[in-house]
Amino acid sequence: MGEQDKTFQLELKDITHRYDGKTVLAVEHLPIERGKIYALVGPNGAGKTTLLHIMSLILRPDQGHVFFKGKRIGQDESQRTHARRSMTVVLQNPYLFNSTVRANIEYGLKARGVERRKRERLIREALEQVGLKGFESRKARRLSGGEAQLVGLARGLVLKPSVLFLDEITANLDVKHVSQLEQVITGINRDRGTTIVMTTHILSQASRLAHQVFSLFDGRIVPSGMYNLFEGQFRHDGQEQYFDTGRAQIHVARDIGEMERGYISINPEDIIVAEQRIHSSARNVFLGKISKIIEENGLVQLEVQAEETFRVQITRLSFHEMGLTLGSQVFVIFKASSVHVL
Amino acid sequence: MGRSVRFALTATLLAAVAGVPLGFVIGSRSFKGKPAVITLLNTLMALPTVVVGLLGYAFLSRRAPLGFLDMIFSPHAVILGEFLLSLPVITNLTVSAVQAVDKRAYLTAQTLGASRWMVAWTVLMEARFALLAAIIAGFGRAVSEVGSAMMLGGNIRYYTRTMTTAIALEVSKGEFGFGLALGFFLLAVAFSINILFHYFQVKGR
Repeated sequence: MGEQDKTFQLELKDITHRYDGKTVLAVEHLPIERGKIYALVGPNGAGKTTLLHIMSLILRPDQGHVFFKGKRIGQDESQRTHARRSMTVVLQNPYLFNSTVRANIEYGLKARGVERRKRERLIREALEQVGLKGFESRKARRLSGGEAQLVGLARGLVLKPSVLFLDEITANLDVKHVSQLEQVITGINRDRGTTIVMTTHILSQASRLAHQVFSLFDGRIVPSGMYNLFEGQFRHDGQEQYFDTGRAQIHVARDIGEMERGYISINPEDIIVAEQRIHSSARNVFLGKISKIIEENGLVQLEVQAEETFRVQITRLSFHEMGLTLGSQVFVIFKASSVHVL
Repeated sequence: MGRSVRFALTATLLAAVAGVPLGFVIGSRSFKGKPAVITLLNTLMALPTVVVGLLGYAFLSRRAPLGFLDMIFSPHAVILGEFLLSLPVITNLTVSAVQAVDKRAYLTAQTLGASRWMVAWTVLMEARFALLAAIIAGFGRAVSEVGSAMMLGGNIRYYTRTMTTAIALEVSKGEFGFGLALGFFLLAVAFSINILFHYFQVKGR
């Protein structure tokens, strides 16, 4: 293979999509590597589901191209159907056909012409995998929400797709089912090398499961914007330009011109914590309390609750030297030029 | 009575073969003039049976443009009339049935790798109980009409006479009692159809 190995499982280039004349998605480049788990995070309406539908070839983007295993997927319906058969989407709140659980799980196998005996065995395996052993003859419409979600997952898993798309599938589930589902997800990625692309609005779930996290804001993929992302209004006050989140006013350095509402982000590495107010050139100073401490790869992540909650990253050494604990009062300091306008 | 049901069944079957796919296409796609098409279908659903008889007569009688087919006053003419009457009913009810199917059904079928045909079949299967109701309603329309059967079939005994034309004849002969008896028979047929209809509706839930 050699060269082939370098091609991405899935690749998106220069994608734009409009809805009612408004651009809802603008993604320059999104490479998906074989055998990895990806998470798309972002608030509601950021375009996660639209992006997922374009990647899974359900939706044709207004502009741009989707490449599957290095091949450009065009308009040809039979080519799209063919490519679609190596992937599956499990939708948030899946639609189950008005029939038995068996018929639902069987559907994709029938579409692929799998013979009957094999179908029976695969259905049994898939149901066992999601913990619904013996559910074959149940009526799909009589299942509980959690069970229906699991059947939706089993219906996707049974096809042994090379790419599995999961759209907010843990959104309507109770804690027990969530952890079960997460185990299934990591399990098939480990055992079968299935590439998984999932959307979620739970950041902890994204960082727990995914090898790589993409943050989506306003239809665009934003760099490392997982923390300190704020939505608000740009304002002018004479010489000063600042961003009003409703709770905090954050100074920005960039000339923001006509923009009114928007998003900003601050890298956790660009923020300083200090025990006392220090005299510096930094324009943004907030007083807050440490509400969370996470140690990760020799670094310490702090969550500081001020007017807004800030995520700060410092080294373990400075963390110990400063003697910080939960509830410690600290100043959060960063330069106006560290604020990224998205 | 057997003849009545046979004519109506044949007409309904043909109307279903034409009307269900037609209704699916209208119901599942969006195109310019769709509301106009649906309004037209609604109007045709209330098409007076005599008008169909009249138009059929205008085209099929010996000296008419289609007179060479030699269809007038034959069972084929009766079936044609009944077909034309039940087609809009079946088409229109199929449109509503298809539109009532959750949009996610299309999406789900696609994500599971279904081809276009399989997607269409799946949507129809999701609407199966409503479709059956549509076909039964079409049958009801065909079996109960009298206007076109009279004008196109000619009420010929043992040949094109149906229950409805027989009732019309008996009453005009003054045999009101016999007409009434036949009427009850027809009512019984309609009633059994509706029981069947109800059974499938309940099963669909």
